[in-house]
Amino acid sequence: MTEQDLLDLARQAAALSKRHGADDAKIVVGRSRGVEVEWRDGRLERVQERTRRSLSAELFVDGRYSASSTNDLRPEALDRFFAEAVAMTRLLEPDPYRGLPDPKRYEGRAQVDLDLFDPTQAKVDTPSRLEMSRHLEELVRANAGDLPIVSVTSGVSDDAGQSARVHTNGFEGVASGTSFSRSVQITVKEPDGRRPMGYSYTVRRHAADLDPAEKLAREAIARTAAQLGAGKLPTGRYTIVVDRRAVGRLLGAFLAPLAGSSLQQKRSLWDGKLGERIASPLLTLIDEPHVPRGLGSALWDGDGFATRRRPLLEEGVLRTYLIDDYYARKMAVEPTSAATHNFSWAYGDRDLTALVGEVGEGVYLDRFLGGNSNETTGEISMGCAGRVIRNGLLAEPFAEANVAGNFGEIWRQLAAVGGDPEPNGSARAPTCVFEGIQISGV
Amino acid sequence: MSSDPRQRPDGATLTMSGFAGATASQAALDPDAGLWGLAYFERFGVNEALLRAAFDRALMHGADWAELFFEHRVSNSLGLEDGAVNRAYTSVSLGVGVRVVKGDQTGYAYTEELSKERVCEAAATAAAVANGPSRSGPTAFQVQKHLDLYQVKVPLSTVGVAQKMPILSRIDALAGAADPRVTKVRVGYADSYGAILVVDSDGHLSFDRQPMSRLTVHCTAEQNGQRESNGCNLAGREGFEFFTDARVERIAKDAVERTLFLFDAETAPAGEMPVVLAAGSAGILLHEAIGHGMEADFNRKGVSVYSDKLNQVIAPKDVTIVDDGTRPFDRGAVNVDDEGNVGQRTTLVEDGVLRTYMHDRISALHYGVAPTGNGRRESFRHPPVPRMRNTYMLPGPRDPQEIIASVKRGVYAETFTNGQVMIGAGDFTFYIKTGRLIEDGKLTRPIKDTNIIGNGPQCLERTDMVGNDFAFDDGGWTCGKDGQSVPVSLGMPTVRVSAITVGGVNKG
Repeated sequence: MTEQDLLDLARQAAALSKRHGADDAKIVVGRSRGVEVEWRDGRLERVQERTRRSLSAELFVDGRYSASSTNDLRPEALDRFFAEAVAMTRLLEPDPYRGLPDPKRYEGRAQVDLDLFDPTQAKVDTPSRLEMSRHLEELVRANAGDLPIVSVTSGVSDDAGQSARVHTNGFEGVASGTSFSRSVQITVKEPDGRRPMGYSYTVRRHAADLDPAEKLAREAIARTAAQLGAGKLPTGRYTIVVDRRAVGRLLGAFLAPLAGSSLQQKRSLWDGKLGERIASPLLTLIDEPHVPRGLGSALWDGDGFATRRRPLLEEGVLRTYLIDDYYARKMAVEPTSAATHNFSWAYGDRDLTALVGEVGEGVYLDRFLGGNSNETTGEISMGCAGRVIRNGLLAEPFAEANVAGNFGEIWRQLAAVGGDPEPNGSARAPTCVFEGIQISGV
Repeated sequence: MSSDPRQRPDGATLTMSGFAGATASQAALDPDAGLWGLAYFERFGVNEALLRAAFDRALMHGADWAELFFEHRVSNSLGLEDGAVNRAYTSVSLGVGVRVVKGDQTGYAYTEELSKERVCEAAATAAAVANGPSRSGPTAFQVQKHLDLYQVKVPLSTVGVAQKMPILSRIDALAGAADPRVTKVRVGYADSYGAILVVDSDGHLSFDRQPMSRLTVHCTAEQNGQRESNGCNLAGREGFEFFTDARVERIAKDAVERTLFLFDAETAPAGEMPVVLAAGSAGILLHEAIGHGMEADFNRKGVSVYSDKLNQVIAPKDVTIVDDGTRPFDRGAVNVDDEGNVGQRTTLVEDGVLRTYMHDRISALHYGVAPTGNGRRESFRHPPVPRMRNTYMLPGPRDPQEIIASVKRGVYAETFTNGQVMIGAGDFTFYIKTGRLIEDGKLTRPIKDTNIIGNGPQCLERTDMVGNDFAFDDGGWTCGKDGQSVPVSLGMPTVRVSAITVGGVNKG
């Protein structure tokens, strides 16, 4: 199926929905194909192919709303799908706030090539995927020194997908994208029977941008070795240096209450805070939808709105909520788009080593485990592990600890931002330092 | 097309999710509710000739065995917000996954088009895992025995939106009227139905119809300018009869009470202390602390903290833990698992001794034991792996009051939202939504939003008091592993863990 085929199918589906009585519809048709191989301890563990297709339809019928999806795209099946979906929608209670967006919001679509599709994906074959996985394991084993390895698993995966979106009031868009990933995880055995696992991964839109296998192997070995002999941390308040890979957890909790649904349903900590300082002046967060090859890049959002670069926070001041078209109508405000894409920060100029050196005494949090947060009041509590910082250096590892507090307060205690954005993720988070954070241990 | 390709998960997770899009249908999407076995899938073009052709392809390079997993699922949900049932979601999913296995090695492919040509293509893709001479597939198919744990009284396929809507409105009215501080109520109704057909290259054929019903309620309340929100949910493998007045009343009441409870609650203190787990959903501790570590795939790979512990004492004598797929109408019940093995009750830990892991077919062959019926998968898009069903601890000898009274200063944990575990290191967490402090043997101040972190084997050793009470939890728990979600359930007597790290905040 080409992009044009998908677009044609979406147009036909939109017409079909109207023929069955829908006043309006938003249709998305997508397909994707990917292969994933997993290699473990010298041999293939699993090779898996995935070929997905789907059609989803948001229908507006007599002031009522429903959303349905199906993967049965045979013409007779689609005909029945729309007949039933429309009939069902008629039975619901009306919702005066539902409807297609004002078409003016579709305008101004950026004229840029996001370069999200790497055509080399179609040429990757499974023998080469297996060879890459085998090579990753070999690199790990050749460079692991006396690491007490129990098992090494490596993975190679790539996907390509296309989607077409059509709204009955004029929106049309087609997008294609690829993604490639590699990962390796190492399990080691401690004298007391614990088997800690360390891993590394890389994920990119284009194969050529992936981190090299040598870097993945080195990183996985270092992250695994650093867990050996982990003890416990005394309960107390610490300066914490959060690894750039782990920062996303703290950021996700902080941003969740910006959503229109959260605000309208009166469960948002950030209700009434627009224009106020809700975080440290060191936190500036810009949403950048048009980064070439960006993992989160897109030209339109789920409402069809043309995406634009916009600040979420500037020097800690809240600049926008994330309100979609529906909740904007419910709240009688202008919609701001619910989607975020790639972030850029007000990056500093130091890396992890330099920040650890500056902090002197504290803890380095390498990873979070489980936990949750309360978007209405801000409480957050999450398991964590990492290493003690002593004399400006990473010292002994610890595990089984927990960080807790209020995520609003935690981001107000942001004391330094690194200059080392993580390339394997759309948050592009740097190492972050927070002061006076409660950690539970023994 | 999702924008952010998934990253490697840090470990297995368990969530008490809100109502995440799934379902709303009208009657008769499934016009042939009486169809059984191959006949159910015949209307989608599946017949014995297709099965034979697919197995010929799947075994074209030898392989030890192969399997076809057909699935048809219709999911419906309805949502109430701001007083109106004004959104419905439905999805239809149909497809077949082909698995080809050689030793521990798996080839897997699926297709969403059930034509002979496409199914054979998927089979050929999966077959590439082997490299020997071809062998022949089954000539005849024998129907396998299975349990009958969830007979449906009112098939979900026959119930229209109009019959479902009053359920949501009633819950909204009850919750809204329960207390003047309640400002917002959201209600989610979800059901799903459909069938699976598992056929292997030995000609074994298993079939199951799998209903699921679920309710979710979220409340926001306001008191003196302070806001709190909380929710609760209920689920079971039942038809429309699941939505009884009793359940409707209970979920409305619980959602309001759990929300209002938070106004007076604070985060627990920080540090290591005794924790008493209330009977019921505290089974989340078992799921995380030991359940995942006893799934045999992790053990055959040597990456579980329990890898060398079979037949060893891993807990005090009062501790017996089972994983049970045979409880009627239970969210975690399976008549047959997703590999066609009959549903079972498996004793994992007996009087403190680790007796068996939870197996899928690959691990059972690896260890030379019988499958335990734990081979489960999210859908035809995924190969099965060992998964829990309903994991619970059997009651012990202690009076629950005595257990609480034994604690000088600690935490009593009552409701939970989610947990996670690192399989190899054994470190696990679970998040307490509500509970109380225990001071001088008595339940005192309410607490909320506190994570607990411990180490599985150590925590089991410290489970030093087991209550003589017991409760199953009928919440809508969903377990995540290898990027696959499956429904599970939990149960627990009151227990004491003598020391574990409470992730709270110390004042001052």
